Amino acid sequence: MGNDKSDVLQGTLDLMVLKTLESMGPLHGYGIARRIEQVSDNSLTMNQGTIYPALLRLEQRGWVKSAWGTSESNRRAKFYSLSAIGRKKIEEETENWERIAATMSRFLAPSN
Amino acid sequence: MDWIRTLLSRILSLFRRNRLDGELDEELRAHIDLAIEENLKRGMADQQARTAALRSLGGVAQTKEQYRLQREVPFLETLGRDVRYALRQLRRSPSFTLTAVLTLAIGIGGVTAVYSVVEAVLLRPLPFDAPDRLVRLHEGVEHQIDSADLPAPDVIRFARDTQSFSQVAGFVSAEFEVSGAGKPFQARAERMTASLLPLLGVQPMMGRTFTQKEDENSAPVAIISYALWRERFLASPKALGSTIDLDRRPYTIIGVMPRSFEFPLDAGRLSHRDMWVPMSFTPDEKQDETDNFQYGCIARLKAGATTSQAQSDLRRMVANVEAEIPPQFGIHLTSNIQPLKEETIHGARPLLNALLAAAGLILLIACVNLANLLLVRAAGRQREFGVRAALGAARRTLLRQLFTESLVLATIGGLLGVALATLLVRAAFIALPESLPRLGEIALRWPILLAALGLTGVTGLVCGWAPALASIRPDLIRTLRLGAQSAGQSRAQNNLRGVLVTVEAALAMLLLVGSGLLLRSFQKMLATDPGFEPRTVLTASLTLPEHDYPTDQKVNAFYRDLLQQLAILPQVSSVAAATNIPVIGIASDRAFVPEGYSPRGGQGWLAVSNYFVLGNYFRAMRIPLVEGRYFTADDDRPDAPLVAIVSQTTARQHWPGMDPVGRRFRMGGVSKSSRPLITVVGIVGDVRQQALDQAVYPQMYEPLEQSHRQWATEVQSQIPAYHSLHVVLNTAGSPSVLQATLEKTVHRLDPLLAVSDMHTMEEIVSASETSRRLNTVTLTAFAAIALALSLLGIYGVLAYSVTERAREIAIRMALGSTRQEVLVRILCHALMLAGAGIILGLIAALGLTRFLSSLLYNVKPMDAGAILGAALVLGICAAAAGLSPALRAASVDPMRALRTE
Repeated sequence: MGNDKSDVLQGTLDLMVLKTLESMGPLHGYGIARRIEQVSDNSLTMNQGTIYPALLRLEQRGWVKSAWGTSESNRRAKFYSLSAIGRKKIEEETENWERIAATMSRFLAPSN
Repeated sequence: MDWIRTLLSRILSLFRRNRLDGELDEELRAHIDLAIEENLKRGMADQQARTAALRSLGGVAQTKEQYRLQREVPFLETLGRDVRYALRQLRRSPSFTLTAVLTLAIGIGGVTAVYSVVEAVLLRPLPFDAPDRLVRLHEGVEHQIDSADLPAPDVIRFARDTQSFSQVAGFVSAEFEVSGAGKPFQARAERMTASLLPLLGVQPMMGRTFTQKEDENSAPVAIISYALWRERFLASPKALGSTIDLDRRPYTIIGVMPRSFEFPLDAGRLSHRDMWVPMSFTPDEKQDETDNFQYGCIARLKAGATTSQAQSDLRRMVANVEAEIPPQFGIHLTSNIQPLKEETIHGARPLLNALLAAAGLILLIACVNLANLLLVRAAGRQREFGVRAALGAARRTLLRQLFTESLVLATIGGLLGVALATLLVRAAFIALPESLPRLGEIALRWPILLAALGLTGVTGLVCGWAPALASIRPDLIRTLRLGAQSAGQSRAQNNLRGVLVTVEAALAMLLLVGSGLLLRSFQKMLATDPGFEPRTVLTASLTLPEHDYPTDQKVNAFYRDLLQQLAILPQVSSVAAATNIPVIGIASDRAFVPEGYSPRGGQGWLAVSNYFVLGNYFRAMRIPLVEGRYFTADDDRPDAPLVAIVSQTTARQHWPGMDPVGRRFRMGGVSKSSRPLITVVGIVGDVRQQALDQAVYPQMYEPLEQSHRQWATEVQSQIPAYHSLHVVLNTAGSPSVLQATLEKTVHRLDPLLAVSDMHTMEEIVSASETSRRLNTVTLTAFAAIALALSLLGIYGVLAYSVTERAREIAIRMALGSTRQEVLVRILCHALMLAGAGIILGLIAALGLTRFLSSLLYNVKPMDAGAILGAALVLGICAAAAGLSPALRAASVDPMRALRTE
């Protein structure tokens, strides 16, 4: 593990989870964690376990739903999927994030 | 909206904890299995695949912990855990817990109960409409009568002429023989003007009040009290409109007052009024311009009128009255106004203030004690905190647990305090002297309870926290290395505890001195000679109704027959009747002027409390003769010379430096009147006119048969006979067995006549001691509690210091110190703490006991006996409290103590 990996920024994990569920459909916790690692090209240091409190948080808000199902390998697992509210929230949160990112990049742009 | 949903879901999950935990376990197991599966596919070995899976998850336990934090309400969960922990901690040290809880309960309960009583009697508004606008009017005669009530004509006049009062009402007490409603009895009634109830803004519970017209026309109507209605009419609504006989004249009941109604308010349970009747001034009363200042008068201030405006309005009206008095009398009338409330509570104030102060001191001692207990406990637990901090407990967590512990302690103590306060308030209602006004309104007051809870709560928090805060400071290593014996035992903390205990002892000393003063007063009261022999005397009072006894002959014949029939009873040794009676009688102001008297201090007359007596009064009461002679049967002859007997105080005060026997005087306040001269024929001992702790009042006795002839010849026929007399029987045996005989004898003469207030004189004397007995018992109980609390404090400090200094003591003993020396050393420590408290308390007492002076009898506020006694009690008790720790210190085995280090 090198120094080129960065910690997951507070609050960004929720959006990553939502986006993952949007593109992949219903998925279990391990799947979501693996997908986030892959998409970030393994550049994030994240305990996979942190995905569970985040999922619970989203579920408590009513943004995702969960149900027990079976994995490809026939293992019983809990599958998470987006709720109607969650779908709407993705747009909001994405806009939010983009605004912050844009602001940040303006700060970071080399000044001339 | 999100946060509501979140909160709801978190709270719900509290109730499904087990199932959710199971689901989480399964979910995490699935996660790991899936990870292992994938790792195996990538070609890892079994063990390696598993380790890698666990590593990337980041620890099962941590994940679960974080998940639970997100799932539930962390605050509630930790609170529950902390409370359980606190209870466990408290259970582990039962003596500390018990002491602290009791301290809190006594402090909170005591102060709340006392304040509740004080609030009801002193502070709560009167139970009338806009009570702060009600005032009582007083009138007096300069140099003669001090701020008394009003003569009847002035009540009428002021109601008519006032400018600053919206309403004026008069009242005066009256007694009626009631028949036609069960067994005849003597009722206490109040005559009042029709304006009184509307002025107070009070409505009857049933029926109506009387009208102005009924008042003016002397209509025979009565309003009865709730108690009378229950007792005599069995709470029947038919009581309204029914008829009862008052002094054998029929009256119609037109109303029943509510249960809570009392008027006048100045007396308490004993003088509950049974009924209220219209004032209906008689023609005599309306013209009675003499100094008959006995009609109570209250008024309501007009909107916008101030007390000082009312005062000058009253002064103007009184000046008008004075203008009508011929100037040669030289009479100057005075007047003043008192708020009704002030008037009502005046007499009760010193006692209640003393109780309130005492309860406040107890609460203070309780707080100091609690502080001390918590300091000792915290000091003892420093090592525990040190270890826990070293093991990684966050400082925040430790403080939170201490906070919870203090809170749990305060809650238990507080609940017990509430229970105690409830009990005490109930007890107070039963036990308080009946002379207190508004007793019926006493109830637990919640605001003060909350205040007391708050005060002790804050004390608990500050004292539980401060030392903990200090001990969790960074210097962990030192705390741990020093070991249990001296862990973090700073000199400053030790000194602080010493100071606290000293303060406690000082407060206890203050209360002990106060209670000592009251105990000495009580002792002096019990030792006071009433001036007569109470043990063999039975007394009762009779009132002959005017209706059936219209002439003096009939009245005199009745009493003469009664005394004769009583005198021949074998058990009776002497029998008499009198217009007045010691202890519960009246210290009336009867004016007289000795022959050749030169006015002193602008007052042209002297005053005595007088007794008209019939029969062998002095022998019946066993009042000793000092000089001259008693009355004889010859004095009752119609042509006998007018005679009187005076008491020793009368002789000393009114004939200073002379022998009054053989000297003469005239009744009335004017020296050159046409009233006949009366000769003093004897001097007898003083009797106590009021409770034994009240000042002796000058007394004079005259034969009842001569009472007419003391007046000028032309008015003698208009003077009414005394219808009410106190019968006095002296018996060889026990006076109480004579009660039935007395009643039977009276009823043989008049079957309807009520025999009231039948008591032995011993009962009367003992009843007059009740109020002082109660003051004394209450304050002594407070002092005892204070003493107990402060001894607990002394014991606590010593016991702790012995444990903590076991090593030091062991070294001393190893170096040759004897057990005796160790014992003395510890006892000296106890006495030093107590001694400092005694000195501090004494200084406080010097400044404060004078506030008690109105409650003392024959004792100075700086009574040496009381102070010495208090110091002695505190000193001895402190030594006793120190004994157990001292013995423990002396029994230290030096080798064992040093080895355990």
